[in-house]
Amino acid sequence: MAICLLKNITKSYELGGESVEVLKDINLQIETGDFLAIMGPSGSGKTTLMNIIGCLDVPSAGEYYLAGKEVSHLSDDELSLLRNEHIGFIFQSFYLLPYATVLENVLLPTLYVANGSNREATEGALRLLKLVGLEDRAKFKPNQLSGGQQQRVAIARALVNDAELILADEPTGQLDSKTSGEIMELLAAMNGHGKTVVLITHDRITASYAKRVVHISDGRLKLEENAQDIQDRGAVI
Amino acid sequence: MNRIILNLKIALRSLYSFKLRTTLAVLGVFLGTFSLIVVSNLTGSLAKKAEMEIANLGRNMLVVASGTVRTFGGTARLLSQATTLTVQDARAIMHQSPFIAQVGPASSKTFPVRYDQIVLKSILVNGVTSNYPSIRSFEVERGTFFSDDDDRNSHRVAVLGKEIADKLFAGANPLGKHILIYRVPCQVIGVMEEKGVDISGANQDNQIFIPLKTFLRRFVNKDFVNTIYVQVDRGASMTPAKAQIEEILRHRHKIKAGQKDDFTVVDSKDVLQLKTQATAMINILGRISAAVSYLIGAIGILSIMILIVNERKVEIGIRRAVGSRKRDIILQFLLESSFISLSGAMVGVVFGFLASLVIFRVSQLPLVLSLTGFITAFFASVAVGILAGIYPSKQATSIQPVDVIRA
Repeated sequence: MAICLLKNITKSYELGGESVEVLKDINLQIETGDFLAIMGPSGSGKTTLMNIIGCLDVPSAGEYYLAGKEVSHLSDDELSLLRNEHIGFIFQSFYLLPYATVLENVLLPTLYVANGSNREATEGALRLLKLVGLEDRAKFKPNQLSGGQQQRVAIARALVNDAELILADEPTGQLDSKTSGEIMELLAAMNGHGKTVVLITHDRITASYAKRVVHISDGRLKLEENAQDIQDRGAVI
Repeated sequence: MNRIILNLKIALRSLYSFKLRTTLAVLGVFLGTFSLIVVSNLTGSLAKKAEMEIANLGRNMLVVASGTVRTFGGTARLLSQATTLTVQDARAIMHQSPFIAQVGPASSKTFPVRYDQIVLKSILVNGVTSNYPSIRSFEVERGTFFSDDDDRNSHRVAVLGKEIADKLFAGANPLGKHILIYRVPCQVIGVMEEKGVDISGANQDNQIFIPLKTFLRRFVNKDFVNTIYVQVDRGASMTPAKAQIEEILRHRHKIKAGQKDDFTVVDSKDVLQLKTQATAMINILGRISAAVSYLIGAIGILSIMILIVNERKVEIGIRRAVGSRKRDIILQFLLESSFISLSGAMVGVVFGFLASLVIFRVSQLPLVLSLTGFITAFFASVAVGILAGIYPSKQATSIQPVDVIRA
């Protein structure tokens, strides 16, 4: 079953009285268990596309089905609930709360679950910290961790509500190549455990971890290629 | 509940980075709570003190003072002295009015007092009748009070106030000893219990009591008195009793209609009422200053909350991205602003109670801690917190993840 289904998605902004189309007639289907990389240069509309897939923004026209539900007409609060339940976010700048500990950061999405049990949430968060190799850093503050470690915390946060869809927007953009490799291995492992992963990047090596790659430029999805090709080319580069 | 605590913990740590501003912001709430607590404790205590003074004066008491008496700010002052009030007046009141339980004419003057090497200058010496302890509910602690016989025969006996006894005898037994009052040696036959300050502001423990006849004959050589204490029958109303006493005395003193009285009948309730008015004034002023402080506090918290929301835009964006609804954000910031306000109030409560204790101690007021003040302060500070948090938290909900989160 397709977890994400985008039909004729258009997104335009008003800029100085003129309407600028950032996304033009996007059609995209992402199956459950897929690992998709969306590649494109800056300004190509890939972040806008991710915002729409992540229900952070709604399309100007077209239909978007997340887990079988059409979301483009949902209210702000309904979108919040949807994100809370179905989507885990990973950002380039990690976006951890600086004042909260590692454990509290991981617990953040559980604060907004309607009938969650606190003890279960904490147990789950500790389990995830162990999974990303940070179980001994639970009481640390984000600024006491390296970039790679912070991104692992963000991954644990993305997983804590057991979302089916992991959205990673340039997850390795601020990391060195070795740490990037580790983070991508971790995402691939999550995909191996059945999570659908959508990756946004302009980096070929990062994209090479995906099963499937789509290119976006000027607001249009261009070509779709097999990840194997990318890997081959990455090796050449 | 745990979630609220977790959110507050995170918020507290972020507030910590604005220590100074937060402190300034809660200053208003602190001061408001402080003055509210102090004022309610103080008014409670003053009311209690007034009540105690009335009780000290004696039950169902009317005081006939010779001359004109006015009350200023709660204390009674003699404006002019007359020489017309006599022991016979007291007897007439007792016999002609059906409302009266007992009367006690009394007169006083200050004299030097000596025992052995110790001289006390200007001690208030009261000439009173033998029923004085019963009228004023002021009992003898050691020895006895003098009898009617002592009074009739102008015996030279004295009953000492507690402080006088301590000063003159310093722990030794004063009973049976002779002290020199003015030029008259008197035998000490009793020591009064400790009573404190009475409604006229006089320290009851720093006085000496001698029989009225002894006082009039041997000390002042006069036949008029300053005061007649009148105890009205229990159950009888004070107002008609007062009117009747006035009528009897006007008749006896031959005061014609339209002429001014040469005496004043003071009802303890009149004095109490005056005191209550003064207390109410303090109460109102205190509450006004508390309200102004709370208003300043609200503005302070409003500004710190606007700052916090601005400073934490990214946090709000992240929270929205991971699933917080608008109402969760509003709730979070309202909680934070009430928490800031409450913590200021908490410090205000502590300091307010400490200051009250110091004031009570210094001005020797009875200890009264007002629960009403405490509860009012609690609700006022919560209200300030919530009101000050509404606008900033509304602002916070306008922040969208896409505006603050950039990949």
